Amino acid sequence: MSPIQRLVDAFHRLPGIGPKSAQRLAYHVLRAPVEEARDLAEALLHVKESIVLCARCQNVTDRSPCRICADTSRERTVICVVEEPLDVVAIDRTGGYRGLYHVLHGVVSPSDGIGPEDLKIEELLRRLRDVDTEVTEIIVATNPNLQGEATSMYLARLLRPLGLKVTRLARGLPAGADLEYADDVTLGRAMEYRQEV
Amino acid sequence: MAGRPPRVTKTEAIVLRYRRLGDADRIVTLLTPHRGKVDVVAKGVLRARSKLAGHLEPGTRLEVVLAHGRSMDVVTQAQSVEAFATLRADLDRLSAAMYLLELADRLTVEHAESGAVYRLLHASLTRLARGDGQQIVTRTYELALLDATGFRPELVVCLQCGEAVDASRASWSPLEGGIYCAECAGRRPGVSPIDGTVLKVLRAYQSQPYEEAGRIRLSDELAARIESVMHTLMHAVAEREIRSASFVSAARRARVRGEAHEAEAEARAVEAVEAVEAAEE
Repeated sequence: MSPIQRLVDAFHRLPGIGPKSAQRLAYHVLRAPVEEARDLAEALLHVKESIVLCARCQNVTDRSPCRICADTSRERTVICVVEEPLDVVAIDRTGGYRGLYHVLHGVVSPSDGIGPEDLKIEELLRRLRDVDTEVTEIIVATNPNLQGEATSMYLARLLRPLGLKVTRLARGLPAGADLEYADDVTLGRAMEYRQEV
Repeated sequence: MAGRPPRVTKTEAIVLRYRRLGDADRIVTLLTPHRGKVDVVAKGVLRARSKLAGHLEPGTRLEVVLAHGRSMDVVTQAQSVEAFATLRADLDRLSAAMYLLELADRLTVEHAESGAVYRLLHASLTRLARGDGQQIVTRTYELALLDATGFRPELVVCLQCGEAVDASRASWSPLEGGIYCAECAGRRPGVSPIDGTVLKVLRAYQSQPYEEAGRIRLSDELAARIESVMHTLMHAVAEREIRSASFVSAARRARVRGEAHEAEAEARAVEAVEAVEAAEE
């Protein structure tokens, strides 16, 4: 296989990259200065070689415990449980949450063969059984779809007996939405959890 | 342009499952009354402001407008008719619903008329959502689904000699989907004795209308044995593991564990109160 074709194929394997985009990217790299190509290659290798899972929150990190777990200014009484590392980024970007996180690395999805035992649930329980734990509340921030609901209810079933407060992210209308197109479940919840203005 | 098929179709459907397609799209598997099971593309549903997403959750019954695409139809409009919201509020019911959906998906083929399966799935989701017992809804659904898809198990007469079999002396073959009398069972591979009570209940579920079958009272232990027989049968018919079945069990185990933990905590609290009272005296 020619070197160019090998690069095209490698780009094509990335999510969201079609055959045309893969070709464009490969030819861009071909025309770019050699330093840029080297930088890209090194960044790719570096991320694979240096990234590990944080022993506490299971988030991807270059050191364990990760920056969030090691940050003493964060609240230690609440853990926000999310599906994927990118969800941590999304929630932290809001600036409205200063507690800790736990990444499940997936969601219960029986039709895809993913059960609770395939998620980082045991790791969460271990964290909560730790004698030094100050945690009193678990915020379950799985996606508001069928699998996310199943996961959150399953977690609640495991965590409530430990005497913890288990909460779920509110569900309602997204910013800029149109009532006319909202589904019944969303609109119903939005009505149920309405707030005084 | 006579004879040209219409460019869009409107149909009722129940969402069975979905899988991700690219950055923000999904391939959604729908069960429809007239066109059978179909895979359709729902564009942009992973974006927070998608107008379709909320209507395309598994277990939702909806009206959908499909534009004919080259390989797959594309959803252009979706409006939920019944979202079965109460299913989403209870883990046991939700896991049971996931199991019903997975079975419907496994036992139907694409583009084959499946009105009976559609009506059955709709009726069973309705029963689960209104709070009927999870066991009775699931078991009668399994048996009726096997009927509708041509896999009706033989629970009354012997598969070999055709004679009626006494429930207490029957042997069961999940692979062949039926029972053998003691004489014919012999040393056939994959055939093992079946509990007489389990068989009697299954016969009643298979032959009686739902309302009457629902009057049969079962202990938890008997229900668990019946469940195990049916799970093995469904596994054999689908020729693969029905993965939601293990989630149904996991959810139940978590509940039992939680209840035991709570009972323990309560007992400890009572003990503590008694100790205080004893000390006061």
